[in-house]
Amino acid sequence: MSNLPEPVSPAGALPLLILRVLQSGSLHGYAIAQRIHLLSSEVLAVEEGLLYPTLQKMLLKGWAEAEWGISETNRKVRFYHLTPKGHAQLASELSSFDRVTQAIQDVLRTA
Amino acid sequence: MTKWHVIPGGQYMGSFLRRIHYLLHWRRISAELENDMEFHREMAARAGRNNFGNMLHLREQANEAWGWTWLDRLAQDLRYAVRILQRAPGFTLMAVLVLAIGIGVNAAAFSLFDMVALKPLPVPEADRIVRLERSSPGNYTSEMAYPSFLFYGEHARTLSTTMAVLGVPPMQIDDDLEPSTASFVTANYFTELGTRAAFGRMLDPNKDDTPNAPPVVVLSFGLWQRRFGSDPNVIGQVIRLNKKPATVVGVAPFALVTLGGQYPDVWMPIVQQPYFVEHSSILKDWDNSTVHMWARLAPGMSAKTAEEELRALTGEIRRQHPTAVWDGEYIQSSAGGHMQVMQPRMYQVAAMVGALTLLILIVCCANLGGLMLARAVTRQHEFEIRVAIGAGRGRILRQLCTESILLAALGASAGLALACAVIRVVLAKTDAPKWLSAWPDGRVLLFTAGMTFVTTLLLGLLPGLQVVRQRQHKMLARQMLVGAQVAASSLLLIIAALLLRATEHALFTDPGFGYEQLVSIDPQLSHHAYTAAAARAYLDQMQSGLRGVPGVTSVSLVKMPPLGHVVSNSGVVIDGRPVTLYPNWVAPGFFATMGIPLRMGRTFYAGEKHAVIVSESFAQQQWPAKNPLGQFLGEGATKDIVVGVAGDAHINALSDDDAAEQYWPAQTEDMPDMVVIARSGGEPGSLAPAVKAISEELDPSALPEIRQIKVLYRQNVTQIELLATIVSCIGLVAVSLAAVGIIGLVAFVVTQRTKEIAIRIALGARPGAVLVAVLRQFRWPVIVGLAAGVGFAVLASKLLRAVLYGVSNLDPASYAAAIATLAVVVAFAMILPAARTLRMDLARILHYE
Repeated sequence: MSNLPEPVSPAGALPLLILRVLQSGSLHGYAIAQRIHLLSSEVLAVEEGLLYPTLQKMLLKGWAEAEWGISETNRKVRFYHLTPKGHAQLASELSSFDRVTQAIQDVLRTA
Repeated sequence: MTKWHVIPGGQYMGSFLRRIHYLLHWRRISAELENDMEFHREMAARAGRNNFGNMLHLREQANEAWGWTWLDRLAQDLRYAVRILQRAPGFTLMAVLVLAIGIGVNAAAFSLFDMVALKPLPVPEADRIVRLERSSPGNYTSEMAYPSFLFYGEHARTLSTTMAVLGVPPMQIDDDLEPSTASFVTANYFTELGTRAAFGRMLDPNKDDTPNAPPVVVLSFGLWQRRFGSDPNVIGQVIRLNKKPATVVGVAPFALVTLGGQYPDVWMPIVQQPYFVEHSSILKDWDNSTVHMWARLAPGMSAKTAEEELRALTGEIRRQHPTAVWDGEYIQSSAGGHMQVMQPRMYQVAAMVGALTLLILIVCCANLGGLMLARAVTRQHEFEIRVAIGAGRGRILRQLCTESILLAALGASAGLALACAVIRVVLAKTDAPKWLSAWPDGRVLLFTAGMTFVTTLLLGLLPGLQVVRQRQHKMLARQMLVGAQVAASSLLLIIAALLLRATEHALFTDPGFGYEQLVSIDPQLSHHAYTAAAARAYLDQMQSGLRGVPGVTSVSLVKMPPLGHVVSNSGVVIDGRPVTLYPNWVAPGFFATMGIPLRMGRTFYAGEKHAVIVSESFAQQQWPAKNPLGQFLGEGATKDIVVGVAGDAHINALSDDDAAEQYWPAQTEDMPDMVVIARSGGEPGSLAPAVKAISEELDPSALPEIRQIKVLYRQNVTQIELLATIVSCIGLVAVSLAAVGIIGLVAFVVTQRTKEIAIRIALGARPGAVLVAVLRQFRWPVIVGLAAGVGFAVLASKLLRAVLYGVSNLDPASYAAAIATLAVVVAFAMILPAARTLRMDLARILHYE
């Protein structure tokens, strides 16, 4: 059983998505949610109740850091950006995600 | 295959540090998060979405990621607990006080045990110091012959160093009237212990380890203060010890550390002992055990390997000196790096004291349990409200536990302070070594923490469970609490009563011999290489000299003098009852001089052999309903015939009623070991100058030790008096606690039933009948508690037999007194609060309700 990949759940996928949208630069929390929503062609909606706990976990694990900045509405807010560790984590998660999706597609095609 | 979230191991440390960072800055980080979410909400509102949800709840969820929620809740619980306790200051004060007594008594007892048996001596590598003693299936002595000591030290590879201590009778400094205590030690003793002299130097193996070296002496700090007026110029002075000049080379430090807790006034190198005690043969004598042996285990060696090697060496000594070793002898090692080397018997005493102090804690917990129970009932309303607004039962239970943790922590702190104060007083009042400090060490703190934990469980869980289960077992719980308190208090009171009786018995009852006017004079001839014939001549002249001294009415000889330094005994079982036999070798006049009556038969004839005189109780046990005269004792070919029966006189086991004596006629070969006893018509202390004059004339090098039996007897009794006082105090504390607890419980029950009582009386019930009805629920708990207490006392007091001075451990008077005391206290504790209710204004109560 331990060799099987875990089921793809939104909760499991969220850290990967956040890491990915932060790869190109720092964003504040609302922008992260908006970005994911837009990029997924408005299929995925990020719940606030999930976004902020996930961001806190990423801070805890040292994947991301937060800095004060000024929003487009001219308000003080914190911008999250990836640490080197976060970049490494993104790379490793991407590759394992690719492998798993590849494997799933293989199964779906041939079965 | 890979998992979706892989956290490399190295990240744990980093995330742990970030967790700590969060804990230190949680206020700022939380504010930042709040700002983020506020911003998010604003932006969402702009986009036309307003369903952001409960901000507080969301924030809590996000913060949970850091893993500190439990701390947050604990702090919350604690704040609440503090508020609750503040609101009931009377209850809090009472509870903390009760707990302080319960935990304090235990912490104090453990501190004492810790000091004596656990705390390592403040010397280098204390854990490798061992005490070595001779042992065999039938014999044991803590001392060793000096040549054997040297032999072991020279050949044992498992021991890196060996040290010997020779305790000697007090010595006279210059012309002092008061003798000073003295010890001879191997010259390496203080260098091994790392002792730094207060002035001058301590003994030095490079200077003092040869018999021909100039004689030196080191003074104790106390003697230096007392006798030399704290004069630093004493170094280099020559003083005379038993008339032998010796140079003072140093003063020991104030907080001197020694092995085995010995603190003599003067210290001298053991190789110079023959100089100070002329003609002494101790250092060459293989057959006389005289020195205490200590050793340091070689690096990497265990005590067990050392014992094995020493066993082989003992065999070697047996080959060379067959008389120096017992059959089946082996050297027994015990950890020596503590103040006291613990003997199995001392552990028994410690266990007993521990059990008594635990009883106190039980009484305290039962007492507090009652208080908590009463509070739980009055707080029922509060709990109901909390459950109604959504608190789970687990949450309430946790809240209750937090409260008892807080109470127990407060009580433990107060208890620790109390224990500290008690230890301080004990250290000041006794001549304890000065290096001991009253401050609790890690072991005591750990012990106290453990006690606190147990107490918390007992206190918090029981009433807590009751509240959570919401069932009405309160009456049963109350009954159990009362029963436990009564049982524990009665046990403590009975033991206290037994010890008090024993003290009284020891002080005011005839011990079987006339000790008031006895003096023992021990010339220690065997230590001076006396032959049997020379010893006989010396002792004969000493006796006739003493008979000529005015006031002396009787003189005789005995091998084991009353309350002597050396005690010989053996345990036997007669008719299934353990008896400790004390053999002795005496001259015919012994019984007359001691004032021990002969119940049957006669004393020995001069020069008689193969005869024995036994004590009355031995005769009764050995030959019940038979004439003991003419019976035979002993095993093998030479049996000894019983010629007389003497009254019981436990001259070397004053407190042990299970002791029995056997007397054999002293033969010529016993003479070097004999001690002179003399009975004087006047003050026995006045005999000393006359004895000194006689011995001076006989042999100036032999300096007899003169001891007044009356003084020794008083010292012996003081110990049991002290024990009785301590146990009585503990017992009184327990009874007062129990009384307060019962008053509280009864008052509570009565308050709960005030209305019922008022109605009953209004309807014409007699007050007495109402009182009985209210108190009926406590009848069985008190009876069962008393029975349990008495039962435990009967079992536990068996251990005490040896210290009861002949008082039976089932002594009815003690039991009756203890039970009566407790009964009166309990009765008052129940009737007082109940009676108060009866006197209240009935009409007002009924109106109020």
